[in-house]
Amino acid sequence: MNDVVGRFKWVGTRPIRPDGVPKVTGKAMYAADYTMPGAIVGKILRSPHAHARIRRLDTSKAERLPGVKAVITAKDVPEQKFEYVGPERVAVNFWHVTRNVMAREKVLYEGHAVAAVAAIDAATADEALALIDVDYEVLPHVIDVDDAMAENAPLLFEDMITRGVEPAPTKPSNISKKLDFRIGDIDAGFAQADVVVDEEFKTAAVHQGYIEPHACCVRVDADGQTEVWSSSQGHFVVRALTAKLLNKPVGDVRCAPAEIGGGFGGKTVIYLEPVAALLSQKSGRPVKITMTRDEVFKATGPTSGSSMRVKMGVTKDGKITAAEGIFKFQAGAFPGSPVMNACLCAFAPYAIENAHTTGYDVVCNRPKSAAYRAPGSPISAFAVESVVDILAKKIGMDPLELRRRNAAGPGTPMIYGPKLAHGGYLETVEACLNHPDYKKPLGKNQGRGVASGYWFNGGGESSASVQIGADGTVLVATGSVDVGGSRASQALMAAETFGVPYEQVRCIVADTASIGYTHVTGGSRVTFATGMAVVETCKKLIDDMRARAAMIWGVDPEGVVWEDGCAKPASSNVGDFKPMPLKEIAAKAALTGGPLTAASSVNAGGQAPGFSTQFCDVEVDPETGKVTILRFIVAQDAGKAIHPSYVEGQMQGGVVQGIGWALNEEYIYDKQGRLDNAGFLDYRCPVASDLPMIDTIVVEVPNPTHPYGAKGVGEVNICPPMAAIANAIENALGVRLAELPMSPPKIVAALDVAQPKLAAD
Amino acid sequence: MAPAHVVLSSGFSRRYTGGLREFDIEAKTMRDVLKELDRRFPGLGEHLEEETTVAIDGEIHDQPTYFQVLRPGCEIFFIPKLEGG
Repeated sequence: MNDVVGRFKWVGTRPIRPDGVPKVTGKAMYAADYTMPGAIVGKILRSPHAHARIRRLDTSKAERLPGVKAVITAKDVPEQKFEYVGPERVAVNFWHVTRNVMAREKVLYEGHAVAAVAAIDAATADEALALIDVDYEVLPHVIDVDDAMAENAPLLFEDMITRGVEPAPTKPSNISKKLDFRIGDIDAGFAQADVVVDEEFKTAAVHQGYIEPHACCVRVDADGQTEVWSSSQGHFVVRALTAKLLNKPVGDVRCAPAEIGGGFGGKTVIYLEPVAALLSQKSGRPVKITMTRDEVFKATGPTSGSSMRVKMGVTKDGKITAAEGIFKFQAGAFPGSPVMNACLCAFAPYAIENAHTTGYDVVCNRPKSAAYRAPGSPISAFAVESVVDILAKKIGMDPLELRRRNAAGPGTPMIYGPKLAHGGYLETVEACLNHPDYKKPLGKNQGRGVASGYWFNGGGESSASVQIGADGTVLVATGSVDVGGSRASQALMAAETFGVPYEQVRCIVADTASIGYTHVTGGSRVTFATGMAVVETCKKLIDDMRARAAMIWGVDPEGVVWEDGCAKPASSNVGDFKPMPLKEIAAKAALTGGPLTAASSVNAGGQAPGFSTQFCDVEVDPETGKVTILRFIVAQDAGKAIHPSYVEGQMQGGVVQGIGWALNEEYIYDKQGRLDNAGFLDYRCPVASDLPMIDTIVVEVPNPTHPYGAKGVGEVNICPPMAAIANAIENALGVRLAELPMSPPKIVAALDVAQPKLAAD
Repeated sequence: MAPAHVVLSSGFSRRYTGGLREFDIEAKTMRDVLKELDRRFPGLGEHLEEETTVAIDGEIHDQPTYFQVLRPGCEIFFIPKLEGG
């Protein structure tokens, strides 16, 4: 659209973010900071069992407790039709969604909501929860995905028939869906290979680990009008889901965005809002619910754990001839894991003519999985990138060189059908190959590992409005919740388009009644798609200001151009007029037609995918199994980094989460299917002292479909770290870890079994 | 004018077109493609609108938006919709 290789004045600079001061001074308003006059406290009773039938639920004692204003159970929540609607990947079935918000016939995981109360204070609400009498028939449960697929596994749904299999199975199972993607001739491909590697892998379910728990404050008025303040990655989706679950028109639900203390995909779904709305409706008071950390871990979506098998073949000179992957994903208590993404992304960095992926979406007695940063792709990448490393070793080739020789590029057929339209992968491999640290010598017990990753990136629907104040201030509003500095990025793109200083632009996130529909802040879509809406809106206003300058000068609007923040005569033939700055035109707005405002909505397409290649050095203590990350280098294609600091921040953040996923994070269940580590002390996310400086290489292969060349940058960075670390551990010890997390006990156990080269040394 | 070459995923073709996956369609816009597929297989257009992402010459669009102008002889793949985190 624009000259994406041009030099920019504001795009690509690193100004301070507009939300920085309130955040660092503790004044930013997060969901739990909001309240409303007369608000009361909502709390949720949760299942102590992993799997049980609800025989009887008696709330009468709780209802009679003084100070209790409302009690609800599933009887108060409208039933939904059983049908899979909407996009295939998420295949939303509101019969399931409403049961996840409030259990009906059965509880399907520890922490599953069974009732809720609203009371004058938290102590009374807690007392009321204790008075609710639930008679459970405890049922056998299943946690592990392989166990859940076994012939005689306990069934979460006695009538679930696997979709995607023809003819349809006659027996129910926990397998919700089977997926299959193919390209080329897999058998012929393996026949061409000199070396074939076939390995099995497992990954643990991991939580997105956002610091801010889910919270909301909801008021339902007597006429049904509903106001929601909550923490989410998309208040329009909160509105849509809340309205659907309560059978309300979307126009009756107004949702306001709060600052968000992390989401990473986990706040694209809802848990509390319909519950708070029903409690408010029943009590006549606003109701505020804030989850505890325990509730966040037990009742909100982690990403899936998995069991995988990956087989790949390569020739001696380094051509990957065939690849096959079987990916079994835990969906949690209801169907809908990201296994399709895993199938599509697994081999996407590579030009492989023959490939086959199979995915299984499997329910088990865990909280329903939710999106987590490039959902699905990091999981399959762990297996595939581990196998690529083994292949490289077997043919005696540098692992980056093997990747370079097989890099997908424009025109490479993808397993999901079309040919890749954009480059960027090869450049990330070469950036790592050329990095001076890649050749640095390693010490004893140290190893180096590399890995790559792919993510589609998203586009879609976004809205923006822009107004220009009488003093020339530019006010930008969008519908995109700001997760990673997007207000700064949007302001930069507006400043660049208008040709005014960044400091002259202010950017906010508007509520659902004040701006057009905008899809979630997810899929690495906001800088791309919302950015297109912002730029389009600015261009509308530029046309308006050209017309107003023409009116002031008494010339034809076509004779006025816009340059460097000013209206100018297109040529000397138009007249001898001094350039008229935006500020001057704004001051005359009343006389030339009224306020300067414009709005745009887009359904943005042509987003380019994201690629990242990374390498890291580790040191492993063979006695304790502790892995210390010594060095981490991440190269990622950003298209054009609109605000390089926030691009680098995304790259570093994704790597940190990947390090946690690789080394420590996991859900640990006891024999009754109860979560043993529902807190940050026992669920071990990396902290600053666990990490080295993560060095970033921002590769810029511009996306020609975006006005400034931007590509999504939020997700692909989390795809490579798990395999990069596994490959580095193998390089250090000669032991291949195929199960995440690679925690100290597992490393010690693997060393004991493998009798590694260390012992020989 | 060379027709657009349209490819459905195997899942879609199994469900809606009796296994037929590839079609050549005279079309100037994505709307033309959807209308023609719906004419050949009544109901298919709505399913494609609801459930697919589309790649036109490899460029991915979250939805098969009507206004997409098609290059003569372009390649169009309807693929299951993608959602991110």
